[in-house]
Amino acid sequence: MSANALKLELPWVEKYRPHLLKDIVGNEETITRLQQIAQDGNMPHLIISGLPGIGKTTSVSCLAHELLGNAYSQAVLELNASDDRGIDVVRNQIKQFAQKKCSLPPGRHKIVILDEADSMTAGAQQALRRTMEIYSNTTRFAFACNQSNKIIEPLQSRCAILRYSKLQDDQVLRRLLEVIQAENVQYTNDGLEAIIFTAEGDMRQALNNLQSTVAGYGLVNGENVFKIVDSPHPLIVKRMLLAPSLDESLALFKELWNKGYSAVDIVTTCFRVTKNLDEIKEAVRLEMIREIGFAHMRILEGVGTYLQLAGMLAKISKVRGL
Amino acid sequence: MVGIDEFFKGQHTGKQPSKARATGTSRKRKEQPVNSASNPINLEDSEDEHTLEAKKPSNQLKAGVSVEIVDEEPQPRKRQRATAPAPKAKASSPKKSPKSKIQSAEAGTAEALLSQIPSVDLDAVHVKETAQFDFRSNGNAGDSSQAAAEEANFPEGAPNCLLGLTIVFTGQLPTIERGVAEAIAKRYGARVTKSISSKTSVVVLGDEAGPKKLEKIKQLKIKAIDEDGFKQLVAGMPEEGGDGSAAEKARQKLKQQEEKAQKDAAEMIKVEEEQREKARRVQSKANTADKREPVREEDKLWTVKYAPTSLQHICGNKTSVNKLKTWLSNWRTYQKQGFKNAGRDGFGVFRAAMVYGPPGIGKTTAAHLAAKELGYDILERNASDVRSKSLLNAGVKNALDNTSVVGFFKSKHDGDVNQKNFVIIMDEVDGMSGGDRGGVGQMAQFCRKSSMPMILICNERNSPKMRPFDRVCLDIQFRRPDPTSIKARLMTVAVREKFQLDPNIIDKLVEATRGDIRQLINLLSTISTTTKKIGHENAQEIAKAWEKNIALKPFDIAHKLFDGRIYSDVGSKSFPLYKKIELYFDDFDFAPLMIQENYLQTRPSVLKPGQSHLAAVADAAESISQGDLVERKIRSSEQLWSLLPFHAIMSSVRPASKVAGQMAGRINFTSWLGQNSKMGKYYRLLQEIQYHTRLSTSTDKLGLRMDYMPTMKKRLLDPLVERGNDAVPEVIQTMDDYYLSKEDWDSIMEFMIGSDKTDLQIKKIPTAVKSGFTRKYNSMVHPVAIYKTGSTTAVGAKPAATPDFEDIVDADDNVPPADEDEESKEDTDFKKDKLIKQGKPKVASKRAGSTAKKSAAAKKRKTK
Repeated sequence: MSANALKLELPWVEKYRPHLLKDIVGNEETITRLQQIAQDGNMPHLIISGLPGIGKTTSVSCLAHELLGNAYSQAVLELNASDDRGIDVVRNQIKQFAQKKCSLPPGRHKIVILDEADSMTAGAQQALRRTMEIYSNTTRFAFACNQSNKIIEPLQSRCAILRYSKLQDDQVLRRLLEVIQAENVQYTNDGLEAIIFTAEGDMRQALNNLQSTVAGYGLVNGENVFKIVDSPHPLIVKRMLLAPSLDESLALFKELWNKGYSAVDIVTTCFRVTKNLDEIKEAVRLEMIREIGFAHMRILEGVGTYLQLAGMLAKISKVRGL
Repeated sequence: MVGIDEFFKGQHTGKQPSKARATGTSRKRKEQPVNSASNPINLEDSEDEHTLEAKKPSNQLKAGVSVEIVDEEPQPRKRQRATAPAPKAKASSPKKSPKSKIQSAEAGTAEALLSQIPSVDLDAVHVKETAQFDFRSNGNAGDSSQAAAEEANFPEGAPNCLLGLTIVFTGQLPTIERGVAEAIAKRYGARVTKSISSKTSVVVLGDEAGPKKLEKIKQLKIKAIDEDGFKQLVAGMPEEGGDGSAAEKARQKLKQQEEKAQKDAAEMIKVEEEQREKARRVQSKANTADKREPVREEDKLWTVKYAPTSLQHICGNKTSVNKLKTWLSNWRTYQKQGFKNAGRDGFGVFRAAMVYGPPGIGKTTAAHLAAKELGYDILERNASDVRSKSLLNAGVKNALDNTSVVGFFKSKHDGDVNQKNFVIIMDEVDGMSGGDRGGVGQMAQFCRKSSMPMILICNERNSPKMRPFDRVCLDIQFRRPDPTSIKARLMTVAVREKFQLDPNIIDKLVEATRGDIRQLINLLSTISTTTKKIGHENAQEIAKAWEKNIALKPFDIAHKLFDGRIYSDVGSKSFPLYKKIELYFDDFDFAPLMIQENYLQTRPSVLKPGQSHLAAVADAAESISQGDLVERKIRSSEQLWSLLPFHAIMSSVRPASKVAGQMAGRINFTSWLGQNSKMGKYYRLLQEIQYHTRLSTSTDKLGLRMDYMPTMKKRLLDPLVERGNDAVPEVIQTMDDYYLSKEDWDSIMEFMIGSDKTDLQIKKIPTAVKSGFTRKYNSMVHPVAIYKTGSTTAVGAKPAATPDFEDIVDADDNVPPADEDEESKEDTDFKKDKLIKQGKPKVASKRAGSTAKKSAAAKKRKTK
């Protein structure tokens, strides 16, 4: 099969989605724990929380597959944000599923997977409480969410909370190389570096960027990758903000501007970077954010000019006392 | 079960090659009588001695030593640890080796060892001047990761070597952070308290200790040591706290605890086996009838497996549980008395009980167990059922008067009355939401007339949703149990599951889960899949991973943001900017308002040198106002929601950072909501007055308020105050000139503020005058300028019945005049009415007049 035909086939994120727990990259300790559960059965109620693209949904569905094997289709109820999960669905569909009789090997239970559970309303979550307890002998629940604080406390109290952390760069790299080998992609080292760089520990983003670069240019090198990625890279922005003099800062900015990034993208990246800029004292950072924010406001009002951003940088350097 | 002894010893031996002396003591420990239960520990016996013989440190110790790990008294330390100051962590000094000094300590008792450690000269200790904890003074270097390093840096002592000691830390220790020091002390089995009492065995003094504490130390003559002394103590004490009497007692207590855990576990196994046996018998008996196989024990969740099976097993909340049980058991009696007799405890008037408290502490379990123990049949409704008004009526209402079928047949045999009856348990009452229309009200209705006991359960008793249940339910609060009451239960579970759990770290776990037992058992169950041990090594990270993340309420958000410590250089490392922004996002509608409401009430701790409080407040105020500019962009038609993080900074984080410090009072709820609606109301009133007066004034709303109103007040109120009844016609005349109604008169008075405030002046008017004024006004017919629904029609003799014709033709219908005197005036008024027709007139007075007179009338009016 030629490479072109492949590209049309499936997004690589789907194509290379792990099917077994052992293939999941990163968070070894948690994954071992899940593997153990998959082996022994008796899965507790779970909440898996963490940033996007680090394998939450994948691990839940892997776990369900490994636990239930062929019975997956009848013993798993999977609902995500695209499904209606209002209080009625919880009271009817989920409750009925929990009451359903299903022949499973000992130690196995029906599983309700609620993806993106943080987008469920509080009312719907409330309605789950007793259901989770009363039918716990036959049905177990698994939640995946980005922010665990959007899950109401009573549900958190009923669940084992597993927190996923960001993937390390080398973990992303290993997986990327596997994909590259399988897809026979041409690449340069700085191209891979750029992909990992821009993904910031998000496996899904890395794969998507890789595929887009391949689809668009064929060759994965640094230049092509940055053309695909739409917002300026945080590190460059960071260098711009931390530049020892205004001139240097402006020079870096000019470079960015000439690459064609839009003012909004630059200014939002500035905001994000400044928020976590540990090199600078927090009080100063707050002042910097003030300037950035006002520039952002003006840009949104329509004045997204070169001058606007240059002015912002000048004000920032003044705030920093340069 | 054989493993129990190894289990408790395991944690001791693993840690450090103990010295010869240590093994000696542990042998001794085995020799001591096991049945310590028969040897009650008397805490009080030496309470008085110590004041007399206080000079000898050994005596003090005996007196001061408190025995337990399981003390019932509520301890502030839990909370305190949670808010423990951010790790200050100085670049740690090279580790001293106090061990060498200590080698000479011969006797294995804490008393002996302590006597060797030099006491701190109390008078030489630098006393902190202000009672405020200042972070800047010590926060120039270091980060949180060093705290762990420091703990490692600390000399390692024998396991449980501080057993039986009660230690108080005060002030700033020179090289280790207080939280770390406390953790160390706890790890070695000591009890750490915050306040100095007669039970305190030793005080570890640091710099800037509070003057009060020093005084107390002197007063109680407690041994005070410094950080080095503490190190020596840890390094020098033998395993298991030596052979001092205090340690002995503590050991016994610990032993008891172990035994209890063991016993409970054994009991549990027994009960389980019985049940299994029974199940088997039942199954073999009814082999064909019931095909369902029982759920295997090991397939259950731990939370189910180890759920309490009797009321005694519920951790903590003993009084609440008893309250519930008493109420339920006396329910029939109350019913016979018609719920009239409150009884001594006041339970007698309630048909329903409301159990409330945070999740995971056994509310539902308690309700079920109480019902079961008293033989009631249970009817449960929870949030997974629809509980709207109609469905409650259809479903529950019928049940209120029914008898239980199961109980009916059973009660034939043993004649227990309760069995025929239900108790209705309504779980998660606060979980009623969309689709449960009218449910709460209906439920409250049931509570008033139910002929079955009802138990309602909720988390938030104070939420407005729960208002209807006020005074119709017996309120029973469940609190988060303290670590000591959870400990025994957890140890039992651990023993049962052959899982190594260090009793000393349970505190830490309890704190992370905020006293949630269910969560703790879940935690154990999950961790046990991969490892069979929780000790000091992994406790920290486990606690962190399991910490509950809950969206905060507006009050907590404001409280946290105004905490001065998180803005210092060190504080901002442990609580970085993004976390502060997250606080805003927990409730981004209310956070800015709460900040705005309370920012004046702090005592700033982060002032720049030379900056006054006022300047800081000004900064904050400016930031808030700029935040409002941003908010307008966000919420206006432009809907620029991408500015929300910026708004977070400008409206909440930045102003808070300027004035953060200690709160001078308690945090108030935002008054903006109230003020805003008040403003809306005044605008409405002003609008109305402006409509009415538009014909005789020539200004907008603002001008009316600023220029006209003060004068109007002078013309409308002052004459009444000065001349009483005589002034009434004059005032009414003025009002009519301006087309003001009586309501407008009231509104105008309401508008006045400051020295013009009218409340007092109005009070000065005699009631007779006031009512005379009203009567007179009502008896007359008044011109009304603008038709405005409802509010402006004259209340007088002629209600606005047929007004609309006048819009088209001038009706000539005569209305009985109210007063001859008023005739001419009314005439004029009417002409005015016609004037307003260009606007949108509705005429209340029906005095005849001719259309032609329009301009003439206007003129006439002017001359008046």
